Amino acid sequence: MIEPVALKDFFITFFSSALIILAGASYALLFAWSRINAHAGIKIAALASYTVLFVSVLELTQAAQFQGYWLIISVAMVIGYFFAPIGIWHLCVKTHGHHDDCQ
Amino acid sequence: MSTTKLDDILPKPASVLDKARNLLKDFKAWVNLDINNLTAGQQLAVKYFCVAIILFVAQILFGLLSALQFIYPGFLYGILDFNVNRMVHINAMIVWMLYGFIGSIYWLIEDESGTDIVGLKWANIAFWVLTGAVTLVVLVYLFVQTGPGKDSSLWLINEGREYIEAPRWADLGITAVMLVFSYNVVATFSKGKWSGIAGVLTLDLIALVGLYLAGMFYMTNITHDQYWWWWVIHLWVEATWEVLVGVIMAWSLIKLLGARRKIVQTWLYIEVALMFGSGILGLGHHYFWIGMPEYWLSVGGFFSALEPIPLVAMVVHAIYDSGVHAFKTVNHPALAWVIAHAFGNFFGAGVWGFMHTLPQINLYTHGTQWSASHGHLSFFGAYATINIAFFYLAIQHWRGGVWMAAGTPNAWRWKWALGLLNAGVVGMTVALLIAGYEQSFIERAVEGSTWSGYFAAQNQPSFQWAMKWRMIFGWVTTAGLGVLVWDLLTIGKSEERKAEKIVIH
Repeated sequence: MIEPVALKDFFITFFSSALIILAGASYALLFAWSRINAHAGIKIAALASYTVLFVSVLELTQAAQFQGYWLIISVAMVIGYFFAPIGIWHLCVKTHGHHDDCQ
Repeated sequence: MSTTKLDDILPKPASVLDKARNLLKDFKAWVNLDINNLTAGQQLAVKYFCVAIILFVAQILFGLLSALQFIYPGFLYGILDFNVNRMVHINAMIVWMLYGFIGSIYWLIEDESGTDIVGLKWANIAFWVLTGAVTLVVLVYLFVQTGPGKDSSLWLINEGREYIEAPRWADLGITAVMLVFSYNVVATFSKGKWSGIAGVLTLDLIALVGLYLAGMFYMTNITHDQYWWWWVIHLWVEATWEVLVGVIMAWSLIKLLGARRKIVQTWLYIEVALMFGSGILGLGHHYFWIGMPEYWLSVGGFFSALEPIPLVAMVVHAIYDSGVHAFKTVNHPALAWVIAHAFGNFFGAGVWGFMHTLPQINLYTHGTQWSASHGHLSFFGAYATINIAFFYLAIQHWRGGVWMAAGTPNAWRWKWALGLLNAGVVGMTVALLIAGYEQSFIERAVEGSTWSGYFAAQNQPSFQWAMKWRMIFGWVTTAGLGVLVWDLLTIGKSEERKAEKIVIH
């Protein structure tokens, strides 16, 4: 069963949903960049992006009135967006194999 | 007036034909393209590309007419109604993209398999059959859209399903042509050599043909009917087309950037797994409100949330490659369009899709201009861009492998085409987003999806202004298309330098 979004929460629902994808991509980009360039500022920016994502997921969870098993989506997004770039980075390294020396 | 006098006034058919022939000859001389630079398969491919561009122009023209009818509802009423314009606009888009994909596959297949196309004669016949059928279907759309709704109407006039309105005879023809195309692909790889790209392409073609059949039979229950109809719309677009684009991109990356085959193929498999893993059951977001069981709300919501994962993978891999490899390209416009593809796909499908896909909010947004906003950016970003990138690859080769990197004469043309087309589509997307937001708010939430709510939303100043801005950005898109066509016809014409050889990384 779903509880539709309240009228007053329309904007925050759209905004937080968009921000999840943007912050997720931003975190992925900065995480990958931090593996190439070991600058502390990039790592901090990556974590800041992830924090924005985390807060956006919390906002969406409230605005979209997730209850019961719907909360799995929130948990999946918080965990998935954190680990997906790490996993994908490892896949990049492994698939590019011994031909690359910069790993 | 006597017959003799009439004959004097009217031009003789032979002289009209001669004039047309001369015009075509002059045009060919002006374009100055040498067909001998192409293999037989590539010659077939460019036929598909030419029709694709003509249909692209038709898509934009009928889009402009539809947009104008939002502002002036009486415009061309009873002559060329909104439903017809919208239908031609969307059908032309679907078909030009399909032409682009088929052309791209015919372009790459000989290089990939290491042999000539098997059944080229059949492939050429299939091209003319398909093009003849498309022309006839469009003419019927334009001139025969009123009359009794009989069984014969389904077979000859319009099958009635949104986005795939082509009558059944044309459906059968499309299926036959796709079977010929599949035969060409499989037989060519069987005669030459198989590769990972070839394997993925072959499996995808089976799905491409098979899924189209789901839109060709009727069920008496509207829910059942819509259930199968979405198989074509969603699974074609978010599964088989995405994989086709993956195949085309994989081959293009090898040719355009010198990416290593082993890596490209491995990532093609990963991408297919990610897309199928999230995209197939992401179908559920179309089943929310058509009378399907309630579990589709959860299935659709959950898998729609997963759909951006391939896009995140793309971001990470792009950074990895840019940091580890020093790629150099020999075709700047093509690479620019590939980059536009990455951004357009990410924003159109990822951001615009997820904003309104969960059922808690989709209850208000589905079927509003919000969907149109998402549709415009995602189709352009995911498919139009990659086809245009391939057109630039093809034209470079057609001109004999000329230089198309830094310092290309008149490079402003491709840059302006890129800028205008992207700005136009993004502008239309934002305008439609505003209209959709207002509709979901007023029509759906405040007025409770009533008929009066529909009109209340349509009469809001924000909606009407959004429609005007969409029209303005439609003209920007049209200008971009004009420059693109001009550039494709002329780029590299006066260039004498040859493109550098691509180094495999």
